[in-house]
Amino acid sequence: MEERQYELIFICRPDTPEPDVDKVISTIEHAATEKGAKIEKTEKWGRKRMAYRVQRLREGFYVFMVLRSSHGEVVKELERRLKVADPVMKYITVRVDEELKRQDKLKRHRERRAARRPRKTVPSAAAPAGPAPAPAAAGGSEPAAAAS
Amino acid sequence: MADEQAPRPPAPPAAPSGPSGHSGPPSGGGHSGPPGRFGPGGPRPQGGPGGPGGRPGGPAKRGKRNFVRKKKVCRFCVDKSDYIDYKRAEILAPFLQERGKILPRRMTGTCSRHQRWLTVAIKRAQNIALLPFAAEL
Repeated sequence: MEERQYELIFICRPDTPEPDVDKVISTIEHAATEKGAKIEKTEKWGRKRMAYRVQRLREGFYVFMVLRSSHGEVVKELERRLKVADPVMKYITVRVDEELKRQDKLKRHRERRAARRPRKTVPSAAAPAGPAPAPAAAGGSEPAAAAS
Repeated sequence: MADEQAPRPPAPPAAPSGPSGHSGPPSGGGHSGPPGRFGPGGPRPQGGPGGPGGRPGGPAKRGKRNFVRKKKVCRFCVDKSDYIDYKRAEILAPFLQERGKILPRRMTGTCSRHQRWLTVAIKRAQNIALLPFAAEL
């Protein structure tokens, strides 16, 4: 099965000592690798003010992780562990591979269009047939082109 | 208005008189014919002035006042962003009302596609307390 990419953010209580946060991170990483996921990135964003109070607290220690896995159960297991972990107040897992794929596609599309455009303007008399199918094929990104 | 209409009808016949001059030379009847065509031709130019009149009328219809409204442009299209990151609360925050509601497209000028992505990003950010669901009292 195709590999999926997830982003996992969890918030620890702001009063947890740093070693405890590290412990949570390592257990999560362990559990993930055990289930066959790869940890791409782990970032500690540190103490941040939250937009609303959670458990009557205004601040939280944010941790951000990126992982890849071909089994969805990993997420289930990680979320179960986060729920059980005492210092963790809140967590979210977002599947991002589809959006990244879309982003990639649009980017490539734009680059191709950008590469084509100068050619279109120079031999304007010789290549009316060439550019004509191009806009039709590029219908998806037309709004972006119109705005640019 | 009367002043506008008065000078205009003479002008259109003046333009067709060129073509009538081409067809006119063979016979006088031909010459009298064109004025008949002017009759139908007349209404058309009158419709023409109506058209230009309609153009200023368009904005007038919107509010009966002629605002020079600045065209709002989708910020994400300007930046050519292919992905709106939910983790960057600072770029999402301008699209929220004070109280935390998501601003409609008509207020922000965001294009439909980016608005769609934006709402998803905002909702994710809300879930991880990067953005408020509602302002706290």
